[in-house]
Amino acid sequence: MSQSRQINVSKNGVPVIAIIALAIVFSAGLFVVGFDQGHIFSLVYGEQAFQDMYLHELTHDMRHAAGFPCH
Amino acid sequence: MKTFLFVIIVIASGTAAGVVQGGMNLIFVEPSLDQAIGIENQHLFAKGEAEDNSEFWIKYDGYRIWQKSGQVLAGAILGASIGSLFGIVFAFSKNSLPGKTTVQKSLILAGIMWLTVYLIPFLKYPGNPPGVGESETVVLRGILYLTFIALSGFGALGFYKLSKKLKTKKLIAVAGYATFIGIAFIVMPQNHDPITLSMDLINSFRMMSAFTVSVYWISLGLFLGFLWNYYKPDKEISSSFH
Ligand SMILES: [Zn+2]
Repeated sequence: MSQSRQINVSKNGVPVIAIIALAIVFSAGLFVVGFDQGHIFSLVYGEQAFQDMYLHELTHDMRHAAGFPCH
Repeated sequence: MKTFLFVIIVIASGTAAGVVQGGMNLIFVEPSLDQAIGIENQHLFAKGEAEDNSEFWIKYDGYRIWQKSGQVLAGAILGASIGSLFGIVFAFSKNSLPGKTTVQKSLILAGIMWLTVYLIPFLKYPGNPPGVGESETVVLRGILYLTFIALSGFGALGFYKLSKKLKTKKLIAVAGYATFIGIAFIVMPQNHDPITLSMDLINSFRMMSAFTVSVYWISLGLFLGFLWNYYKPDKEISSSFH
């Protein structure tokens, strides 16, 4: 009885590392498509990135089509 | 659970469903976007910020082609992102979800998440085509939208857990969630930005956009269900006991 329950628990266990990896993909992807206004490229290109808004322009149509506020 | 396999099939199904959505958008949503951006261009000409000449249109057409291909790429990225959230929830809830097969279970979860993190937030804060919305309020609108999605998603999860703990019927959890989200719907501030385009254009944009997002959720449920059923990432330990 106790053994079969043990099998069940380990079978259902979702690995923490997988959750972390997927949580990173979730947040990064959501930010890039839904909200970036130059923030990510500004890490490399500085203030200019907020003028160019490359990712905003590139993801622009999907941002609208998926229902995010865009501008 | 096979960690790597699990992550890969989750990201693959999300990306594939996002590409489907992006491709559908080219057919169904882009016409409304082109129309709305066309109106924006007319405003630019009227204000003298751009000149209505062939040079402008050559640049514009090239830009829009780039932007439309970016839309499909963005579909893949957003698809993988939302798909990752879906994969996490599915891994935890698979055994408690109704449905006989893995595909049925994942379609049911896709339906629940479509309703709670997409449709209900969309009814409160519907999307708009380009040209609607004050640029000063974009951050505020983004925060309101995300907050409402989070309230709805965590609300649904919270009431489900509560009903499981108290061993009440599922219907009571649904009623609890409905009351909670109904209150949030009324209490959360409205988007007061003026609608500056014709309601015809806005409505056809919203209908097409809701349609392709719904296609995304159905595809996501199907893809993850089939891949999960085929690769069975959660069966590692039980089979090693045989
Ligand atoms: Zn826009």
